Amino acid sequence: MPRLLGVDIPPKKKIAISLRYIYGLGPTRADLVVKEAGLDPNMRAADLTEEHLNKLQHVITDRKWVVEGDLRRDIAANLKRLQAINCYRGIRHRKGLPVRGQRTSTNARTRKGPRKTVGVTKVKAEPTTV
Amino acid sequence: MARSIKKGFFVDPSLMAKIEKAAKASSRKPIQTWSRRSTITPDFVGHTFNVHNGKAFVAVYVTENMVGHKLGEFSPTRIFKAHGGMTRKEL
Repeated sequence: MPRLLGVDIPPKKKIAISLRYIYGLGPTRADLVVKEAGLDPNMRAADLTEEHLNKLQHVITDRKWVVEGDLRRDIAANLKRLQAINCYRGIRHRKGLPVRGQRTSTNARTRKGPRKTVGVTKVKAEPTTV
Repeated sequence: MARSIKKGFFVDPSLMAKIEKAAKASSRKPIQTWSRRSTITPDFVGHTFNVHNGKAFVAVYVTENMVGHKLGEFSPTRIFKAHGGMTRKEL
């Protein structure tokens, strides 16, 4: 299994597809990397030689793209900043509600998670065991 | 869509005047304002603003990493009182 930029081990898919398993590379960038490295787009990731991998990695680092750990850290830092300054967006992030003004009366399930019924729940009579 | 860079930050002229006055007098008294739409510029840093939220004034102490946000972002206009909680009361 080929390794690229540390942790990623994309398996027997076409290279452009397997590159997309790297956090920070999507369809556009993956295609571009393959093209720039001058590799056959129909090649499978398993067939990549050491040399090919080097070439791919160079293309990615030369572009100064922030990928993987650095990217994750950047995003986390952004969220942290918003939350630290206590602005509206930070508050919404903290509460796990939509940040960009979407309605929350209904929908917003991606942010809010599975439905949980709220309201007056009757308490069962506590068994008196004294 | 983001605002054109050519125009620069928007700050209400009335608020700008207040800040300049405060800076000249080097006073640290809170600046009362209704101008939630004003962008925080580097001149704002270190001042405290009382930003109106439609009902009352919320004190906002401006720090460096607030630059670029608007004053209104720090003065929430809605209050959410939690749902439920009946069970706990009855226990």
